[in-house]
Amino acid sequence: MKTLLQFKNVSKHYDKKTVALSDVSFSVNEGELVSIIGPSGAGKSTLLRCINRLIDATSGEIIFEDKDVLQIKNKSKMRALRTKIGMIFQNYNLVERLSVFENVLHGRLGYKSALVGALGFYSEEEKQQAIKILQSLGLDEQIYKRCDQLSGGQKQRVGIARALIQEPRVLLADEPIASLDPSSSKVIMDQLKKICSTLGITVLVNLHQLDVALNYSDRVIGISKGRVVYDGDPASLTDDHIQQIYGSDREALNLVVREPKEVAQKI
Amino acid sequence: MAVDNQARSTLINGGGPSFQKERIKLRLMSKSRLAIRLTMLALAILTVVGFLTFDYRDVHLLKGIMSTFANFKTIFAQPQLAHFSLSEAIYQLLVTLSLGVLTTLIGAIIALFLGIFAAENLSNKKVSNVIKGFVALIRAVPTVLWVLIFAVSAGLGSVAAVIGMSFHSISYLTKAYSESFEELDAGTIEALEGCGASWWQIVCQAVLPSSLTSLISWTFIRFEINFGVSVAMGAAAGAGGIGYDMFMDSAFYYNLHEMGVITYLILVVAMLLEFMSLKIKNKVRS
Ligand SMILES: Nc1ncnc2c1ncn2[C@@H]1O[C@H](COP(=O)(O)OP(=O)(O)O)[C@@H](O)[C@H]1O
Ligand SMILES: [Mg+2]
Repeated sequence: MKTLLQFKNVSKHYDKKTVALSDVSFSVNEGELVSIIGPSGAGKSTLLRCINRLIDATSGEIIFEDKDVLQIKNKSKMRALRTKIGMIFQNYNLVERLSVFENVLHGRLGYKSALVGALGFYSEEEKQQAIKILQSLGLDEQIYKRCDQLSGGQKQRVGIARALIQEPRVLLADEPIASLDPSSSKVIMDQLKKICSTLGITVLVNLHQLDVALNYSDRVIGISKGRVVYDGDPASLTDDHIQQIYGSDREALNLVVREPKEVAQKI
Repeated sequence: MAVDNQARSTLINGGGPSFQKERIKLRLMSKSRLAIRLTMLALAILTVVGFLTFDYRDVHLLKGIMSTFANFKTIFAQPQLAHFSLSEAIYQLLVTLSLGVLTTLIGAIIALFLGIFAAENLSNKKVSNVIKGFVALIRAVPTVLWVLIFAVSAGLGSVAAVIGMSFHSISYLTKAYSESFEELDAGTIEALEGCGASWWQIVCQAVLPSSLTSLISWTFIRFEINFGVSVAMGAAAGAGGIGYDMFMDSAFYYNLHEMGVITYLILVVAMLLEFMSLKIKNKVRS
């Protein structure tokens, strides 16, 4: 299998005291669904944002499609990079006052000249593509609704549609189900799985629900205090590893994982 | 005192040990609250001193109030035209209204660009601070003074009024607009950046649609202000319009009946504006 993304000794310091990532190295193959788990403040969001340069890493190399993204200085090259990387967020981050359709089409802005995109001109093919994606996500009845009238689960699906219309090679998901109820969470995770297996898009997803991570992912990367402490099969993640990732608070741990597979079945 | 406190705490705690000797404060006294208190106190003292030292020599308070009411009665109960016809009055009213529209429009267009560069989430901190400081300075001087300042070079009249009023509108709307832009969720901007959208695309596709309602309502508020100011400018700066007629009636002909008509006309326009702004806002929101 081909390597799509590789972190080599990546570090990120926000200031002298806050070290969000230190010496992070791992690689991701094409078509994999990788979960990144860890407690709040571990550096998961920072890690994802370093890939599409929403945050600039302090040192190291991030190789995406055989090029180091940290070397990109040129604005148009940066836009070209970002079109290949879709991203969804915990708070959906849609333009709430615009329609579902317009929000999805925003995913095409990276391909357009500044003026055409600013005026909101989209080609018929792009519109058809948007409708097709919305249909596949079960949102065909909501196309002309304003986003502030949607439920959380629907908003997240709009977020996914906006990312998919970019025709990305990798999809980054920053806690996509943290604000959703269990049944919407399941819908979203199933969609991510489907995107990965049928479209061949690599998915990197930050999760703090360990059970979900274990159930859906091909591989788990555990980080704690900015360091990778586990990188491997979800099946071989032991209690010791979990303790290493989440710290030594036994009480809290028991709440998170007792019988991961069983808990996950319920949602 | 001590006994009293003891008794009270007995009531509160049902005879248990007293935890609270003093009354519980709702808020902590901060520096800014202290400053506000001192200011209020100073103002109160000044007011009292003012009333005590006024020069009342020939003014009889009661008589003064009575004759003011008599004038009000003439204005509001017996309005009547004398020096011009109703259509002329309405034409002058339109002149005044146009002055308000023009200055608001000029202000809105320029303030839109300044507001974008003054918004901290769209611009960099330095540019934002420079623009914000500059418009704050302009705003600190009242509109009427700006008109008079421009009258030095343009002469008293409509030109000075347009420039001066636009000037103040720009600074007012720049502040209002930039604050509306800053309300936009940082995550939304981040998401569009992540899609590869450029800065102008983000402004046009996310920032403007999200803040449209508040932009419109601020612009309308400014229009209402500018309408009021243009009435005053007709008198004070010779900008023409209904304000000039009103000034002539009050200071020259001393015709309170005609002033009554003008007052009613202005009132009607003000109410119409209010009604229109409500309608537009509802339309934009849905
Ligand atoms: N913009 C920022 N400025 C300063 N420190 C930050 C910023 N964003 C995150 N941090 C710090 O970096 C660390 C990692 O944060 P984050 O990547 O958000 O963790 P996670 O997503 O795992 O909760 C935290 O200690 C956080 O306080
Ligand atoms: Mg996070």
